[in-house]
Amino acid sequence: MEKIEYDAVIIGGGLAGLMSAHEIASAGYKVALISKVFPTRSHSAAAEGGIAAYIPGNSDPNDNPDYMTYDTVKGGDYLVDQDAAELLSNRSGEIVMLLERWGALFNRQPDGRIAVRYFGGQTYPRTRFVGDKTGMALLHTLFERVSGLNVDFYNEWFALDLVTEDKRVAGIVAMQMKTMTPFFFKTKAVVIASGGMGMLYRHTTNSYINTGDGFGIALRAGAALKDPEFVQFHPTALYPSDILISEAARGEGAILKNNKGERFMAKYAPKKLDLAPRDIVSRAIITEIREGRGFPGGYVALDLTHLGEEYIKERLALAYEAAKNFAGVDAITEPIPVRPAQHYYMGGIDVDIKGRNPDIVGLFSAGEAACVSVHGANRLGSNSLLDTLVFGQETGRAVVEFLNSSPHEPTSNFEKEAEKIVDDAYKFVKSESGVHFGEILEKLRDVMWDYVGIFRDEGGLLNALSEISKLRGMISSMYVSDKSKVYNTEFFNALELRNMLDLATVIAKAALDRKESRGAHYRTDYPDRDDNNWLKHTIAYLRGNTVEITYKPVKITRWKPEPRVY
Amino acid sequence: MSENLQEQEVIFKIKRFNPEKGFWWQEYKLKVDRFTQFTEALRRIKSEQDPTLSYRASCHMAVCGSCGMKINGEPRLACKTLVLDVVKKYNSNIVTIEPMDYFRPIKDLIVDWDEFYDRMFKVKPRLYPSKEVLEGKAEHRLKPEDQKELWKFAQCIWCGLCVSACPSVRIDPEFLGPAAHAKGYRFLADPRDTITEERMKILIDSSWRCTYCYQCFNVCPRDIEPVTAIKKTRSFTKLYKEKSEVAERGEKHTEAIFESILKTGKIAEAAVYLKTYGILQSLVDLIYMSKTGKLKYALVQERYVQNIDEIKKIMGGESK
Ligand SMILES: Cc1cc2nc3c(=O)[nH]c(=O)nc-3n(C[C@H](O)[C@H](O)[C@H](O)COP(=O)(O)OP(=O)(O)OC[C@H]3O[C@@H](n4cnc5c(N)ncnc54)[C@H](O)[C@@H]3O)c2cc1C
Ligand code: SF4
Ligand code: SF4
Ligand code: FES
Repeated sequence: MEKIEYDAVIIGGGLAGLMSAHEIASAGYKVALISKVFPTRSHSAAAEGGIAAYIPGNSDPNDNPDYMTYDTVKGGDYLVDQDAAELLSNRSGEIVMLLERWGALFNRQPDGRIAVRYFGGQTYPRTRFVGDKTGMALLHTLFERVSGLNVDFYNEWFALDLVTEDKRVAGIVAMQMKTMTPFFFKTKAVVIASGGMGMLYRHTTNSYINTGDGFGIALRAGAALKDPEFVQFHPTALYPSDILISEAARGEGAILKNNKGERFMAKYAPKKLDLAPRDIVSRAIITEIREGRGFPGGYVALDLTHLGEEYIKERLALAYEAAKNFAGVDAITEPIPVRPAQHYYMGGIDVDIKGRNPDIVGLFSAGEAACVSVHGANRLGSNSLLDTLVFGQETGRAVVEFLNSSPHEPTSNFEKEAEKIVDDAYKFVKSESGVHFGEILEKLRDVMWDYVGIFRDEGGLLNALSEISKLRGMISSMYVSDKSKVYNTEFFNALELRNMLDLATVIAKAALDRKESRGAHYRTDYPDRDDNNWLKHTIAYLRGNTVEITYKPVKITRWKPEPRVY
Repeated sequence: MSENLQEQEVIFKIKRFNPEKGFWWQEYKLKVDRFTQFTEALRRIKSEQDPTLSYRASCHMAVCGSCGMKINGEPRLACKTLVLDVVKKYNSNIVTIEPMDYFRPIKDLIVDWDEFYDRMFKVKPRLYPSKEVLEGKAEHRLKPEDQKELWKFAQCIWCGLCVSACPSVRIDPEFLGPAAHAKGYRFLADPRDTITEERMKILIDSSWRCTYCYQCFNVCPRDIEPVTAIKKTRSFTKLYKEKSEVAERGEKHTEAIFESILKTGKIAEAAVYLKTYGILQSLVDLIYMSKTGKLKYALVQERYVQNIDEIKKIMGGESK
């Protein structure tokens, strides 16, 4: 097998991976960045609304970073590590200004300074934005910047597995998709910045490529996931393509209706109505659909028609465009079809405030793949882009520190190890007949949606665990019918499925064990938050077929838990 | 509203490719409804019927630029195109899907983008701010109207559709292509950038190699208008010292048109031609034209437009 050596290897070309790469390369180290898509096609491009930042002199005069931290902690239902949230808030202005200096075209106030808008859960407005395509603008700016540095990009390369030696990183095996050639990347440090996992769910706002590969890679290498049971659902995704219709629509007065034309939120949240928190609205919509008051296909109506053409086109341009382009619906005259969909993963690879994983020396993680944890049980809108940049940078700096002070050289017989990884990958898809990835995948997505979704209970979760374990058994007889030796996407889809099944096992087990409701984790059999027993992080390892769970205290600095009422 | 999903069976004829077998067409039948995007149709074909089918797609919302392909012969983003819209437009439930033109096919609908990326990187696609700003000692203030102008051209998602549709890219290896020009202009026009001279060197000659056919304008899914970026880049020619032959000729051509309109109110083809290409080349071309029967157009005597003073007034108001 071909071998190549780097000081650090990054998996992921989204905002988090690029930011880490920038820091490590700027310090003079040799960096490889592996991404299964050309970096600008990463999911970060899809972010719409904006990035939160307190910028001194350019924020509401009453605002300060402490309010931002408080909003984040409360939004996360107190499962947030408060030291991490403080860092996030304190560094927010600096990081946004850095992207501005690199050319990001933030919307401006008349005086030429960066403009600001309100987002859900903020005491003062602090979201910075580039039209309605903030993610795309930031991703392109950062990619263009990093592409001018000394970073070797391996685009359309698929990372398979980590190679470790005595619980230390020794390298990573990845495969060029165009030629199907595997490479061993020898390195002391690996940053996993592989993003989220929306494809685990039947309905998701995420990109098709968000299959949670990094979680599978980390788990198989023996690293833990933190808080894997926390999956965020967004109430209003467009039917059937699950494209996000921003909360702004309801903020401007859009009304959710069932097939009887009733404003059903009056039943579920009489005071806040359609503007109740995301988790409550999501649960309400699912209840309506389950009880037969949805539309055929399974959705409800988001009605803007009473707002009038001018208002819609001026204030809700994106919702209008999305409905028009992707659902063929003219929101001026007909309601937009919506339903909840998976949106974000609060759980992730267990790392500290510097992106370091405690289980494996030299393993780092950042962005949606990591759990620092700044989002706790429920992420606030516009905090995730900020997370990718702030912790992408922190992690990059931590890698530099690590490389500066680590004389250790991986020595072991990695060749064998690397060969075995490739063999394993081929083995489980080697049979001459059997099931295709699609069959297992579609079942998995239904199981996750039905039993590990917006509503959970013991029976459903037990059922899910046994179904997932059956599906996991089936992949050993999985069969790749495509024998092509160039860009064999069927093969990579099968590998993605393996990662998804490893992750699904861990999510379902952690959700079964957490016997309370907190943020996005809602147990119908335990509907209340239980701080006495459950104000703690889940730490989950995957050992063969069993999930091993321990707990870790939440870091509380200044904000004591209060009931989360809005 | 959408109770009527208009479910319908559609036949997808897909042009497939792999290096071992070459090209072949394959048909799939799939039931779709009025909301089904082409990316979703492909995803379902792959996971339910034929896992060997290969294509690229990521965001499913027209921001990542992965899913460019030819749908019923038109270059489109598959995610931004609804299946039944195409069925209705062509009044046929058979739709064809092919890889984008111009690029080398790798596997089915996946084409090789390497050369496209090279073009994009040739224009140095990043801001080079001043040292003070980079070190955080000074702050950029960007006028809202500048932000708006630049953002238009900054929204290119590197999808390659415009390049696949551009005739000049095919015949002129010196031409950077529409996407690279959009990117290049976005930085050329940024008041915060410091390498304007170098950018002019990269962009100006190439900008005169576009034929203004507007194909890029028609196919761009993000409404970037690369041809507008090219037009605006050309206007930098007068600021640039080391003009190439192509740029100089192009600039003369524009001047000639300007003068002609100023004088006659029309574009006097012959005069413009003479001024652009000079006597010698014009004579050569004249002989060619007389052979092809086009000479009569060159020899038409232009009649002056009435109210020519009005035109002069308007044009005088423009900066020349
Ligand atoms: C529709 C939508 C709108 C959103 N809007 C906002 C918003 O307005 N504000 C906000 O703050 N947040 C928003 N978010 C969330 C935010 O966009 C994401 O959390 C964030 O972009 C994740 O960035 P990342 O760098 O961690 O990962 P990604 O950008 O997802 O990048 C992952 C990278 O990993 C690579 N990769 C994955 N697996 C492999 C493998 N096996 N081998 C090689 N490479 C691999 C991929 O190629 C990719 O380059 C939104 C999310 C969605 C779904
Ligand atoms: S207008 Fe110019 S750039 Fe655009 S397609 Fe035609 S030749 Fe190409
Ligand atoms: S200019 Fe338009 S068509 Fe061309 S690559 Fe960019 S987004 Fe695609
Ligand atoms: S899938 Fe991203 S542009 Fe179509």
